[in-house]
Amino acid sequence: MAMALRRLRSPTSSLRTPHRLYGTGTTHANTVRRSEQGGPWPGWQVVIGIETHAQLKSREKLFSQTWTPDLNSVPNSRVAPYDAAFPGTLPRLNSSCVNLAIRTAIALQSDIQQRSTFDRKHYFYSDLPAGYQITQRYNPIARGGRLFLPQSNLSVRIEQIQLEQDTGKTISEPRRRNLSIDLNRAGMGLIEIVSKPDMRSSEEAGEYVRTLQAVLRSVAASDGNMEQGSLRCDVNVSVNRQGQAPGTRCEIKNLNSIRFMVAAIGSEVHRQIDMLDSGGFVSHETRGFNEDTGETFPLRSKEEAPDYRYMPDPNLPPILLTADFIASVRNEMPALADEIRERLTLHGLTQQDTDVLMAVDSGNEVDFDGRLNHVAVTYFEEVSKGRNPKTVVNWIIHELLGQLALRKKPFRENPISVEQMSGLIDMVQSGMVTGSSGKLLLRQMLDHPSSEAPSRLAGRLGLLANWGDEFLERLCSQAITDMPEEADAVRRGAPNVINKLLGRVMRSSKGTADPQSIRRTLQKLLSMP
Amino acid sequence: MTVAVKDNICTKSMPTTCSSAMLRDFRSPFDATVVQLLNDSGATIIGKANCDEFGMGSLNVHSIHGPVVNPHQHPSSALDWPVRERRSAGGSSGGSAAAVAAGMCSAALATDTGGSVRLPASYCGVVGLKPSYGLISRRGIYDHLQRWGVVSFADSLDCVGIIGKDVISASQVLDVLSVFDERDPTAARPLTRERAQELCSEHMAEWASLPSGDFTKLRIGIPQEYFPVSLDSSIVSPFRRVVRALKDRGATVLPVSLPNTSYALSAYYVIASAEASSNLARYDGVQYGLRVPLPPDSVTKSPGEAYSHSRTAGFGAEVKRRILLGTYALTADAFDNYFLQAQRLRQCIRDDFMRVFRVPNPLARSATPNVAGVHVLLHPSAVRTAPFLDEQDGLDAYTQDVLTVPASLAGLPALSLPMAVDAGGDGWPLGVSVVGQWGCEKMILTVGSTIENAERGTVVTSPG
Repeated sequence: MAMALRRLRSPTSSLRTPHRLYGTGTTHANTVRRSEQGGPWPGWQVVIGIETHAQLKSREKLFSQTWTPDLNSVPNSRVAPYDAAFPGTLPRLNSSCVNLAIRTAIALQSDIQQRSTFDRKHYFYSDLPAGYQITQRYNPIARGGRLFLPQSNLSVRIEQIQLEQDTGKTISEPRRRNLSIDLNRAGMGLIEIVSKPDMRSSEEAGEYVRTLQAVLRSVAASDGNMEQGSLRCDVNVSVNRQGQAPGTRCEIKNLNSIRFMVAAIGSEVHRQIDMLDSGGFVSHETRGFNEDTGETFPLRSKEEAPDYRYMPDPNLPPILLTADFIASVRNEMPALADEIRERLTLHGLTQQDTDVLMAVDSGNEVDFDGRLNHVAVTYFEEVSKGRNPKTVVNWIIHELLGQLALRKKPFRENPISVEQMSGLIDMVQSGMVTGSSGKLLLRQMLDHPSSEAPSRLAGRLGLLANWGDEFLERLCSQAITDMPEEADAVRRGAPNVINKLLGRVMRSSKGTADPQSIRRTLQKLLSMP
Repeated sequence: MTVAVKDNICTKSMPTTCSSAMLRDFRSPFDATVVQLLNDSGATIIGKANCDEFGMGSLNVHSIHGPVVNPHQHPSSALDWPVRERRSAGGSSGGSAAAVAAGMCSAALATDTGGSVRLPASYCGVVGLKPSYGLISRRGIYDHLQRWGVVSFADSLDCVGIIGKDVISASQVLDVLSVFDERDPTAARPLTRERAQELCSEHMAEWASLPSGDFTKLRIGIPQEYFPVSLDSSIVSPFRRVVRALKDRGATVLPVSLPNTSYALSAYYVIASAEASSNLARYDGVQYGLRVPLPPDSVTKSPGEAYSHSRTAGFGAEVKRRILLGTYALTADAFDNYFLQAQRLRQCIRDDFMRVFRVPNPLARSATPNVAGVHVLLHPSAVRTAPFLDEQDGLDAYTQDVLTVPASLAGLPALSLPMAVDAGGDGWPLGVSVVGQWGCEKMILTVGSTIENAERGTVVTSPG
């Protein structure tokens, strides 16, 4: 029954017609969905909308040719006169940022506007050197759209997508009674993605952000890294008694992990329900989240909300996009996550293996200006050429990833080359080394990175299986079975033909077996004197 | 070529103060595009020229460097400075115009947002050219000359302009500066420039190819709204003389109407102040410029308090007035009635011009030629000669711009050149303005040069 109800949430369903229109701006739900009885808040409906800011992964900033900073950049080292709002400087739009915004809009099925414009949003703050942020208030680059959440089986509608500038960072140093300003981030390109208030639980909100993060990464628009601040969320939450009109919403700002967002929503819902239950009312306000107490706290009320004095930017011409141009962006888009999943499934990988492999990159696959480099997936596909994909994926997921995790190393710092990994797997598969020796070799290669072939390393460490016995005999028997004519010739007294069999064994041992031992073993098996 | 540069145009080797305490010690890390182009052409930059603070003013009296005194004196007199009449050089580019008028340089770079080149040129008796918006880089200030390096006052209006001792010297500077600057997002694209040039040449061919001085086929419009009651009556007779000189060369002179002219001043002050309030938000004493430490008894020690402290000390009264006016015009409650309304009026004013010109607008998608239209407009540059420096009252200063702001709002090229000083006046210079279609600099300079020649031949009779 729950499934059936949830399916009805699809926006194409006739049940989803607007229940009521609210023009005051203090309530934000325009649809009423039935939520299952016995949820975490029986008798209450929770309504959630999310504004997401994603930093665009572009080489240069949105309006200047300054390189965007990385985590290791020295503060204020990526600042040109424009970024510090020097008099006489003017903005120049970075087309790469427009391109990444269009990709995101395509992936979210948003309606890309043929004409969009830039506006200035004014406020005074130390990390905003111009005294205004350039954004797209009046004519955003894309309107509408949707994001499907598979686990919740819910399609969340997108309100709009807009391009804007990031601000600098203010670092408070209470002990020195100082505020330090770092403008490295000032002027980086952001896209703001605003959802409709379509989510009804913190779980759905969590899935929305995770899914959006995956979409942003799959189109190489942003690395979507919440911990590093390249993805930030503001959440609007309201509650109302089942069957009643939507309540007054509160906005919780600056949530920098999905875990904190889920916790903040839970705490905020409790607060609002308690308030209403005790006969009070919720006031429209902006709140923060205290990560230590797990509670939200008031930042400012609606009355204290600043007047941003929006003004069309008089320097920047409108962005004009033709259908042809949008189509060309679409054609150049990297394979979507779904297409990669499909390809991995064709290799015979399970859903779980695929998930693990795709999660390995966690944003690191996103390179500058729309390039994508799926390190783990590519590594897997290279190593599995001509090998059993299942075996390869086990080695990569269970052994390699596990050992890297133990060493607290991300996958991109994996020192083992595709050739080395391939050789290692082949040695274990062919029985040249035992499985446990293989794992030992892997650890050795991680701890002492070099370009040495695993077979040589195995030889040096004395890990090769004993060539005198059984294993060499198995290789030789196989050669005799594979080459019956040559074997007969040797038996019938043509001793030199044994070299052909020897060559065969050399190849199947990948050159690691000792030729004299092979010759002796072959002679024994062929009952030669 | 020797050139003075208005102090709101960035120079690496000299301070760029914008005549403001806020930037008293500011030195730009780069040269404006226009400065770079002048340097590249071998021009000598003789120094920075005084101006109204951030270009806001019509009399060049709002400056930390003090007011600019108009250097003009009648050719027949040779009084020493202390005993001369102290008159305004006009603003905001008073220093640039005065430097040229005093013979310190052959030309000067200036900026024109609502008349800041043409008004001083008129008051000082020199030539002032405000090119089409988007032609000169503002990252210096011209917009028909590109703007990179020009300190913004009101971006949608700011143009880099040229002041010269005559039309030839202004044209020479224009040739150096009129290139495409990709660093200025408001600079016209090369294709638009080409198209404008073609249209201009095509329409000039109708008359400029005739034997020298024969203007049969040149159609000149006199906008009837440009003779307000405030216009000093002594301006009429020299203006008539200029018109007659052009008629004598065969030009057809027609009355035309620009019915929305009376709204131009209000629309201009709303738009320019709104943009100024935005552009001047950056002067907070953090990255550069004046920073006044908070007094020890400061209550909050918040960034907001620190900013207001520095901004209160750094900006002059006129700049503060416009920031407050502009801030109000952009508030949520006033935005529709002030800012948007002013934008609508701006469009009406632009449409007025487009209706009367014979040359189609090169910026418009489709352009039907208007055979009944005129090639250029002709009108007095100002309502009076230079005011005395000590006769000032606030609102009067704003109305000095009444004849210059319409071309600014429409982004059109306008040239002010001196008319011969007439016996009927007070002996101080008066300018006449030639306004053309977007991109028709060559056309207004050609007409201007003819007027210049005719006026040179004028024998000024003695008073009586």
